[in-house]
Amino acid sequence: MLRKHSTPSPRLCHPRVRVGQGVRKLPSFDMKIYFHTCFLKVVRHPSRKYTSLQHTTRAVPQATVKMAASRIMETIPGEDGDLFELEAVWRPNREVRFDLTHANEDIEAHYNEPKHRHTLQRSSWSSSTQKVLSSMPSRSMKWNQAAAVNQSRSTKTQQRRPLSICTEDQDVFTDQDDYVDDELLKKLQGLSVGESAQLLREMPLSVSEKRQMRELVVCWESGKPRSANRPLCLYWFQTCLKKVVHSDWSGRQKSLQLWQKVFKNISAHFGMGVLSYFVFLRRLLLFNLLLMLINGLFLLLPQLSNPSSSTRTSSEAEHKSNLWMLTGMGILTDSVMFYGHYSDCQNGSSECFENYNIPLAYIFTFGTGMFVTCVKLVYNMSKAFGKSQSSTNTRSLVFKVFCSWDFKVYKKRSVRLQSVNICTQLKEMLSELSCKKQKRNLCSMLRWLSLHLLVWSICLLCMGACIFAVNYFHLVRPINSHDAEPVYLLILPLAVSAYSRLLPVLFDMLSRVEQYNSPDIRIYVSIARNLLLKGCIFTALCLWFGEIKPKKNEQCWETMVGQELYRLIVMDLIFEVLYIILAQFFWGFCVRNVTLRRRKLEFAIAQEVLELIYSQTLVWFGVLFSPLLPAVQIGKLYVLFYLKKTSLMVNFHAPKKHWRASQMSNLFIKLLFIPSFTGALTCVIYVMWSVKPSSGCGPFRNFDSMLLIIDQAKNSHSLNWLNSAYIHWVYNPLFLFLISGAFLAIIYIHMQVVDGQKVITGRLQKQINFEGEDKKFLIDKIQALNELKSQQ
Amino acid sequence: MSHCSLLCQFFISEISAGIRLQCTVCHGTARMGNKQTIFTSQQLDAYQDCTYFTRKEILRLFHRYRDLAPQLVPLDYTNEPDVRLPYELIGSMPELKDNPFRQRIAEVFSEDGQGNMTLDDFLDMFSVMSEMAPRDLKAYYAFKIYDFNNDDFICKSDLEKTLNKLTRNELTEDEVRMVCEKVIDEADLDNDGRLSLEDFQHMILRAPDFLSTFHIRI
Repeated sequence: MLRKHSTPSPRLCHPRVRVGQGVRKLPSFDMKIYFHTCFLKVVRHPSRKYTSLQHTTRAVPQATVKMAASRIMETIPGEDGDLFELEAVWRPNREVRFDLTHANEDIEAHYNEPKHRHTLQRSSWSSSTQKVLSSMPSRSMKWNQAAAVNQSRSTKTQQRRPLSICTEDQDVFTDQDDYVDDELLKKLQGLSVGESAQLLREMPLSVSEKRQMRELVVCWESGKPRSANRPLCLYWFQTCLKKVVHSDWSGRQKSLQLWQKVFKNISAHFGMGVLSYFVFLRRLLLFNLLLMLINGLFLLLPQLSNPSSSTRTSSEAEHKSNLWMLTGMGILTDSVMFYGHYSDCQNGSSECFENYNIPLAYIFTFGTGMFVTCVKLVYNMSKAFGKSQSSTNTRSLVFKVFCSWDFKVYKKRSVRLQSVNICTQLKEMLSELSCKKQKRNLCSMLRWLSLHLLVWSICLLCMGACIFAVNYFHLVRPINSHDAEPVYLLILPLAVSAYSRLLPVLFDMLSRVEQYNSPDIRIYVSIARNLLLKGCIFTALCLWFGEIKPKKNEQCWETMVGQELYRLIVMDLIFEVLYIILAQFFWGFCVRNVTLRRRKLEFAIAQEVLELIYSQTLVWFGVLFSPLLPAVQIGKLYVLFYLKKTSLMVNFHAPKKHWRASQMSNLFIKLLFIPSFTGALTCVIYVMWSVKPSSGCGPFRNFDSMLLIIDQAKNSHSLNWLNSAYIHWVYNPLFLFLISGAFLAIIYIHMQVVDGQKVITGRLQKQINFEGEDKKFLIDKIQALNELKSQQ
Repeated sequence: MSHCSLLCQFFISEISAGIRLQCTVCHGTARMGNKQTIFTSQQLDAYQDCTYFTRKEILRLFHRYRDLAPQLVPLDYTNEPDVRLPYELIGSMPELKDNPFRQRIAEVFSEDGQGNMTLDDFLDMFSVMSEMAPRDLKAYYAFKIYDFNNDDFICKSDLEKTLNKLTRNELTEDEVRMVCEKVIDEADLDNDGRLSLEDFQHMILRAPDFLSTFHIRI
């Protein structure tokens, strides 16, 4: 064993060293010392006894051990009587050099990898070489800060502390601060207030340094602080405008911090994956709020303030309905909730104000609402798309090491779980890299294929049964809701909700049988199946609506469709509440306390998000027939949020599998736009265009098609400008041709620019490689020259 | 303001400072940070220009800072007192307590490099880790956090330490070595066997998750 003496020159002693060999695990060793063919782990035992056993193996030559001992004496501080234990780890085929430069830090070495044949071997540099290297421009502060000044938007390396490469002559280059500060200040001077603040924020300096710099800029300009130069209200207006224009309305606005604390709590426990569901919910809430605002201002208020003279007779049965809140019948039938109540403003001024044409307002409000929603969706999609323009190889180890630790998670158990997750994923990736994918032989391939086909066929059968069942319902209850009992009206919506909620659970259980090559494919297949299911349900509902025909002339099929959709949404909420109580609280309680495993449930993010998308599709489909439907959806989302959050905290554990949150969020936004929004919009426009509105009620009772009102409006005098604009711009083929030609040209130019930039990037990459080679070559030459000089 | 904190949060704007707000439903009151006695308005302007926070958030963060050591931090910052909270207090914040990188984060953002933070350092840390900070700035500080020996390069030993902290020493020696080799192979552009800031930033550009993971909510 090695005993550390307190003599001033420890090299004089010849310690005896015990070296063990093998893979015995040492308790947290202090350092490693690398030698030619092995490295030694050194552990200090502060209070062990000294023994005089000496034993060496042939793996470690004596000289090596003596060298190790002397290094230990130099570098590890220790008390008298400390014990140092060395373990040798034999590493054949590895040439290792000893590195002496870092006196107080971990002694390390560079391995001479086969690939990096000309790796910079810092081990053998002489001090004059190191002096030259430390004064290289890329290492000095001046270059780095000057580079920061030249680029207004990007930040470069900046040293907060001096370099540690060379121990001598460090302070030669530290007086460059003043020079660079001047440059930086000049740059800040030239910009406007907002831009200089933006530039200041993006600089990688500490806040105190930034404040000093800001003071200097302010003093330079005039003696007064900047805020005194402009009126306070203008500054306030500027900041407000900047916030509104530059902020992302989907929840990142600073002033609209709805549910921020709840999100923090959720992300602390569960991480980003589960949080993305709640963020999506908030986003949908904002969409509905927007729709409600537009509808409320331009449609609801005028209609409510009209002197109403409803000459429609309604039978007694319609007014007397016990479950009016659930079924939408009774009092709600002839209210602003549904299409039928809105007046058509045709017969004089008895029903509407003179200047406000409600049918036209109806069409335009609907159009504007859909247009604004479309624009916002496309904007969100494009932003998400822009952020995700990255390499598709996201399974690379580099991202896993540097980008996978979620700093938002801070609860102890979740942090531990996250560590375990990352460890598992790294091990998986390593095993993937080390052994190639085994080729399946024919037998197992057939088995795999048949299993997949079986599961898919079961899923498709279920979906087919679902469609059949929905359409079969008209045998159970008559299509005409007029005569039916209110309770019978609720069966169909309940059944649809049940299918929509329970079949994905079945699919999930079936998919556990299948084997997939990677977990991503499993998620995508599950999303595809759920999407198909929702599509089937929606198709079945459209077919069902197609069969609705009013009994008498006075009834409105639009109102009936609106009521059906209202019932669907309300029953969906009720079923969801029941599901949460039974399947999550009750079942979760059983799983936790009754079974032996004592684990919690797992939150199925994809299925929950697809549920949200499905219900939003229904809302978008129903806005035409029931303008207040977004308000119902807002209430529903609100209730769901709090219920789901409570259930999450009580019944669920943090996700064990990795969830690529940003990619999945992009996917869900895209799904919200393409099948959901565009599908609903297409259906509604088809209905508006081809189906004759009912003649007994509603704003369009005198038209053959809802869109014909635009023709009528064009011919009226007050909208002459619209008419002429329409004829000269929209209807003019030449104009359309020019516009589309210009569009195509712009797209082509952008594509060419992107291709050119790719080529340039490739060339710059090659140039960086060449520069690296040049650098190594020059350093070797310098070293050779210095060695030559020192020998002379 | 227990039941209606939601609504009040909804409508609060940052101009209403030094005012008492009363909710009309539950009659609970809340006082916005009385900024006249903590910071001058020039100081608040300066902090707003130098960080990604609004006045309200700066005051809230000041109160968080003060709650760590009320006897050390004065309520009056108009004279710029030189108060430095030791690392142990910073590391005991719930958001950082169990984070394996908390020591490095504190060291990187503190002036003295030991983790003892002034209010400026505190604001800087949470400003960079907030969701408004741009990718380049975050990449710069992430690089510094993962550079354990402060030599402006992420070398193999830094990578090994990072991995051990990420996985709580669960990986074996060989696995750690293999991962480090692979990382350097993939990310090292100029082939010097270690990652410089440019290599790191180039890699971050291609990472889709970085902005959302390198984020602390406060």
